[in-house]
Amino acid sequence: MSNNRVSRRQFLGYTLTGVGGFMAAGMLMPMVRFAVDPVLQQKGTSDFVLTDQRVEDITEEPVRVDFTFEQQDAWYTSEVTNSAWVYKEGDRLIALSPVCKHLGCTVNWAGDPNHPNQFFCPCHAGRYEKNGQNVPGTPPLGPLDEYDVQEQDGFVAIGAAKENTLTV
Amino acid sequence: MHFIGKDIDQYLSQREYVDTAVVPLLELNLSETGLKSSAGASEYLQSLTALLEKQFKGRILLFPPVSYTAGADRTRMAEEISSEMEKGGFRHVFYMTTDAQWRSMESLKNVLWLPAIPTGDMDRNFKQSVMEDQLRQVLPLFLNEWS
Repeated sequence: MSNNRVSRRQFLGYTLTGVGGFMAAGMLMPMVRFAVDPVLQQKGTSDFVLTDQRVEDITEEPVRVDFTFEQQDAWYTSEVTNSAWVYKEGDRLIALSPVCKHLGCTVNWAGDPNHPNQFFCPCHAGRYEKNGQNVPGTPPLGPLDEYDVQEQDGFVAIGAAKENTLTV
Repeated sequence: MHFIGKDIDQYLSQREYVDTAVVPLLELNLSETGLKSSAGASEYLQSLTALLEKQFKGRILLFPPVSYTAGADRTRMAEEISSEMEKGGFRHVFYMTTDAQWRSMESLKNVLWLPAIPTGDMDRNFKQSVMEDQLRQVLPLFLNEWS
């Protein structure tokens, strides 16, 4: 028998603290887990959609590149094909959204013979510079959106749309 | 714009810009021989008008297809639809159809008749390029009317 004997009072104290500790931890752990969950969540493998446009074929002249992805609209999943205007500036790839900032028509590069170096919206004659900057005096109120873009195995991959970063 | 609640809100606030209505006219034929081609025409017409809407979203309001049976009185329909479109205050109204009987209709302006291409068995990329070819034929008609 050891000398420092545990009294009945002490034994009960330890036991209750221990059990209480487990119960508190059992309640707190999930809360902590929920709080940090968004950080731990893994994003889908890649947000970039691979297109069949070769990077080496892209010049400084914008070309239309189509890309298809699945879009879920409530219970209805559909394949949506969108396009982007892709060109090179130096070695940098640039992809602009073709959606007019006025009312959402599709703009075309050099669609207006009088302005061969601009994007042109056929609906209300909106125009944009090559970097997406809207031409003042035409209906659009802002520059064209830009897509994240990267090269994957020599092909263009298009990511999420973001606000235009080329215009200042 | 589509004929859906969200787009109509935008339409109401931007009415002066959206001055064109597009009404697809679609014949339903449920007979043994006509079913397949009727469905194919429906697919073709809806893909084409959807592409058109994407191109000209800010200027056209695309209505859901007006469907009728083979024996429908098209003269009466033409009157009813065009008077309803007048109420909407559109400056331009286009009717798109694969049904040849509308071509002889005098009372409707701007009937675009297109022979249906059966796209149902094509693979996706091919269908896409076929439909874009079709769209390219239709676009100038719109641009001419607007200018």
